[in-house]
Amino acid sequence: MNGSAPRARRTPLPYALLIPATVALAVALGYPLVRQVVLSFQDFGLAQQFGRPPEWVGLGNYRELVTDPYLWRVTLRSLVFCLVNAAVTMAIGVGLALLMRHMTSWVRVLLQTGLLLAWAMPVVASLTVWQWLFDTQYGIVNYLLTKLGLDFQGHPWLLEPLSFFFVATVIVVWMSVPFVAFTVYAALTQVSEDLVEAAEIDGASPLQRLRHVVLPAIRPVLLVVGLLQVIWDLRVFTQIFILQQAGGSTRDTNLLGTYIYRLGIGGGKFGMAAAVAIFMLLLTVILTAPYVRAMLKQESED
Amino acid sequence: MRIKKTLAVAAMATLATATLAACGSDDSDGGSSSDGGPTTADIRVWLNGTDTPQDARDWLKKTFENQNPGSTLTIEQQEWDGLVEKLTTSLSSASETPDVVEIGNTQAPTFTSAGAFSDLTDQLDDLGGDDLLQGFVDGATVDGKTYAVPYYAGSKYIFYRKDLLQKAGIDVPTTMDEFVDAAIALKKANPKPANFSGFWFPGQDWRNGATFIWDAGGDLATDDGGEWSGSLESPESIAGLETAQKLFTEASGAPKDGNEADPWTPWCAGEVGMMSTPGWVTGLINDPKSGCPDTLGKQIGVFAMPGSDGEPAPVLLGGSDIAISAKSANQELAQKAVALMLSDDYQTIMAKAGLTPAKTSLAPLLGDDEFAQATIAAASNAKLTPAAPGWANVEGSRVLEDLFSAIAQGGDVTELAQKADEQMNSQING
Amino acid sequence: MSRTPRRSLRIGANVVGVVAFLVAIFPVYWMVNSSFLNRNEIRNPVPTWVPFGGNLDNYRTVFETDQFLNALKISLMVTVLTIVVALAFAFVAAVAVSRFRFRGRMSFIVTLLVIQMIPVEGLFISQYKMLEAMDLLNTVIGLSLVYVSLVLPFTIWTLRGFVTGVPYELEEAAMMDGCSRTQAFFRITFPLLAPGLVATGVFGFIQAWNEFTLALVVMTREDQRTLPLWLSTFTDVNRGTDWGGIMAGSTLIAVPVIVFFLVVQGRMVAGLTSGAVKG
Repeated sequence: MNGSAPRARRTPLPYALLIPATVALAVALGYPLVRQVVLSFQDFGLAQQFGRPPEWVGLGNYRELVTDPYLWRVTLRSLVFCLVNAAVTMAIGVGLALLMRHMTSWVRVLLQTGLLLAWAMPVVASLTVWQWLFDTQYGIVNYLLTKLGLDFQGHPWLLEPLSFFFVATVIVVWMSVPFVAFTVYAALTQVSEDLVEAAEIDGASPLQRLRHVVLPAIRPVLLVVGLLQVIWDLRVFTQIFILQQAGGSTRDTNLLGTYIYRLGIGGGKFGMAAAVAIFMLLLTVILTAPYVRAMLKQESED
Repeated sequence: MRIKKTLAVAAMATLATATLAACGSDDSDGGSSSDGGPTTADIRVWLNGTDTPQDARDWLKKTFENQNPGSTLTIEQQEWDGLVEKLTTSLSSASETPDVVEIGNTQAPTFTSAGAFSDLTDQLDDLGGDDLLQGFVDGATVDGKTYAVPYYAGSKYIFYRKDLLQKAGIDVPTTMDEFVDAAIALKKANPKPANFSGFWFPGQDWRNGATFIWDAGGDLATDDGGEWSGSLESPESIAGLETAQKLFTEASGAPKDGNEADPWTPWCAGEVGMMSTPGWVTGLINDPKSGCPDTLGKQIGVFAMPGSDGEPAPVLLGGSDIAISAKSANQELAQKAVALMLSDDYQTIMAKAGLTPAKTSLAPLLGDDEFAQATIAAASNAKLTPAAPGWANVEGSRVLEDLFSAIAQGGDVTELAQKADEQMNSQING
Repeated sequence: MSRTPRRSLRIGANVVGVVAFLVAIFPVYWMVNSSFLNRNEIRNPVPTWVPFGGNLDNYRTVFETDQFLNALKISLMVTVLTIVVALAFAFVAAVAVSRFRFRGRMSFIVTLLVIQMIPVEGLFISQYKMLEAMDLLNTVIGLSLVYVSLVLPFTIWTLRGFVTGVPYELEEAAMMDGCSRTQAFFRITFPLLAPGLVATGVFGFIQAWNEFTLALVVMTREDQRTLPLWLSTFTDVNRGTDWGGIMAGSTLIAVPVIVFFLVVQGRMVAGLTSGAVKG
């Protein structure tokens, strides 16, 4: 089955179709990417930014980096944070998308509107509001929990790293779920109703229909969305950065994104920051390689 | 194999842009000459936030354009938020660089030692010489050359609740010991609300915390023949940090990991007996939209934080520098603009708006009410952050926020100070 | 037999839907609520739940100068340009990689993915230098160019998923009915891709609309500010941040995104049904 696309007909058409995207990416990203790689082998600071010639240090930046135990702590922390957040986001996002098909239409519209509004809210505003909600002294969360008779008066949510990351997870998931839910729901609308009905007539239970008909049909989109979540959650930056200003210990809550920033713009060590960025890139490639390989393999078998 | 191909494409793109770059710089050099630029031009001045009053901006534009017929001056407002990103990029661009920029006095050393600004040493005497706030000048001086001059300053002083001090029978403290005792006594005298602060001291507030270190004779970092190192674990610094810890645990009800933003909120909620904030906070407390002018706004008293010797305690001096971009094509005109910004006329407008002027001789212009007196007294013994080339790294990695927050939570001071010194040493020399 | 489980499924789905709606909407509500309040009501030990007795002062501040309208204009130009270019380029590329087998296909897909993985935090300085060399600083085109590169890899990947999701058999069937390959594609596959185009379009729109760091360094002139840059003028560390202004500004900034979505959604739904009728 799935005779998919026509077999290697020798036609220049696909290449022609790729030209616009390739040119745009090469023009806009080619130079910055090459420069990023070059920088990672240089001792490049603010002085070099203003014209002093940079000094080549070979693998010096990388050596300094990997011998710093702090980097490994941050890396481990980022990995755990990324996997937890990606998993929670996907579970909630896909769950909502699947349930949307069963909702009364006004509930569905209501939910879609809510998700869209959350998605459209400017980041400055959403981070400020979330910060207020979890504020130690004037936060609504503490206010409500105290009203419920719990001892949450002045509870510092950001003080303990674990609690800090809980709040960060709430915010990250809240911000990412709309994208997942919308995209997956869009993919679901592609699933042919006939197929589902046919399965129903064959006596398949809702769960069976989900597993054998619906999920396989949206698999390509699910894989992409999941992969993107992993990539994005690994380099999460703004949420952590803003929360660190509100409370908690910066050193105990740095993730790779904030660490790069503090080295680069914060500390003016652009060479080092570039090296961390390349390190992060490798990490992401390694982390997602099995997944990507499986995805591509399945595709070429089709 | 295929990846190589992609790289080749990318490399070609690089080559193409490199060629473009060469053309670009040819163009922009065309208009300028080596002796300080063209005689007429549009001078772009970057001012940050809303600190500079509108009168001052108008005066600057008008005066500059009158004195330099044919030239114009444009003030482009920038925000403090993201300023370092913007300066890092724009100041390196010959075509886009502003001519004159305002920069935070603690941000300045990083840029001066990187060569982003023009040397102003020769103009220094004309701009005010010894009359300029010396700490600012020192902070912007590298190897005997000065790259930035002070623009205005501001330091914090103590706001206290007149009614509460009176009720508790406490006099305005005149020494550091009395201050600490008063803070603790105030907290005891006001068991409600539970988060009441005799001295409002959020855990991340190292800028106020530094006062206790300096007062005890310690320092954040010291310079040993060009080699900087953290000095938080010196016995004097430890003594200061212990005072801070005492205030955190016995006198403050502020969040142990919070920052010092929005102090008018706890003030108006009746949660503060004393706090150390910039003078402009009065304005917000007495604004019906942000504060409580009719109630607690009436109870504000102020004094400069007293030191152990009875003189004003050393407090951290905040403020701004101005500098000329080294890449600016209009060096001479830019110098004229800077001269105007440091002129007595201009600085008088700044002083009337409550900003400590860049020249010591103009300080009396601040006025003589109790706020002005507290401002002048606090500034008289103000200190700056260490002028180390890597100080911005230290602030960027938030070592001090972490340190004070951990001290506020009751951690072991000596141990924490040692750890913070260690982290500082790896960053402070750039 | 399947009546009851179906009904309980519906009720359960509705309950989850309403709860999820409340969670999603609460911060948004809080933003709108705060936009009608004074600063001392926004930050207060006793929260103000409903803006009764609130006022429009914050909105008045927003419209006091023409800065908002100017930033709106710039943001619209940048975003529309980005979206149109990115969707067009991504669409043809996605068709190429999912409907054709050709040499270099895999490397293209993998390269896109790797580009997507590069941390952007440190990249903006290089992008600035590039735009400087191209003489495109402080221009709508320059900013759009970097935005296109920002959303393109993602857009191609997602659209590719959607194109793959449409069974090729459908097109084959149409071709057997006498359609040409191109006709079959546009009659059958394209309408089915509409939801995917909307989803990725909205995503790209929001990305470009809300982006801050690149805009910050590229658009330094006051008359070239985008909306997020304009919004940041309300934050002032030295004078206290105007929270009410931020919330009012944010509320206004969110409106075009919603309008965009509704318009596109409506069009696409219409397109979807007409396509289905033709099919």
